[in-house]
Amino acid sequence: MSLVDGLLGPEEPEVGCDDCFAELDRYVELELAGEDPDAQLPGLRAHLAGCLACREEHESLRALLAGERG
Amino acid sequence: MGGGLTATLPDVDPVMDPESRAWVAALAGQGSDREAALDRLHALLLRAARFELGRRRGQLAGLSAAERDDLATQAADDALMGVLARLGDFRGLSRFTTWAYKFALLEAATRARRMAWRGRELPRPPEDWLAMADPDGRPEAAAEHAELLAALRAAVAEVLTPRQREVLLTVVAGRVPLDVLAERRGTTRGALYKTIHDARRKLRAHLAEAGLLTGEEVRPR
Repeated sequence: MSLVDGLLGPEEPEVGCDDCFAELDRYVELELAGEDPDAQLPGLRAHLAGCLACREEHESLRALLAGERG
Repeated sequence: MGGGLTATLPDVDPVMDPESRAWVAALAGQGSDREAALDRLHALLLRAARFELGRRRGQLAGLSAAERDDLATQAADDALMGVLARLGDFRGLSRFTTWAYKFALLEAATRARRMAWRGRELPRPPEDWLAMADPDGRPEAAAEHAELLAALRAAVAEVLTPRQREVLLTVVAGRVPLDVLAERRGTTRGALYKTIHDARRKLRAHLAEAGLLTGEEVRPR
């Protein structure tokens, strides 16, 4: 992420870290099922774009589940 | 939660799969069934914590394998407490194991970030942060966004509160993890992110007013 992107953050409305954590499991399962998580959980993708810590945990959960499911 | 953070998540009726239902029943129950479920859950959380720390091996290069495994065990222990404390929040909208994993990943990631910064002074927001190399390695000052950057620098100085300025620059320009700054400040990741979010909204609004962002880029709250 460039310095400008980091300073300005995502354009779209976003949830906070607590709401992101609350829904992260569902978001990742929808992603892995090939569904559209953004339609059901608006604001999460924008938060993941703006928050490095939540983004890293999203990537980890996705990788962990993807590895389990082969 | 997150006043000012603008998206609202819908509430959906749960349809819990049988395996998840069995987990919840065992953990909410008593006796040997519960003890067995706790053991299985801890093993699952430990696996997730090890997975996370394995992904961060480079960040934890100073740790021996035994120390790293001890860190994973601590993360799994705390994740287990978190899962049990919030068992009532599980609505069955994902598998129980997926829901539980995220607690272990969070605990392990947070520990790893803090371990990597242990004993290090946090960088003070650099006075001349505009001249800093971009985190991607591009020299921003020379890049095509020079006008935007100049306006952004002025906006950071003029429209943000001192706290917003310090938090935003420490995290974005100083690349200090939110969890690390939260620990040093005695606050939470969520509270710090809210500060960053509010600062970003101010900057966007200011730049839009100056005609440097299109209307599309700053949407109503």
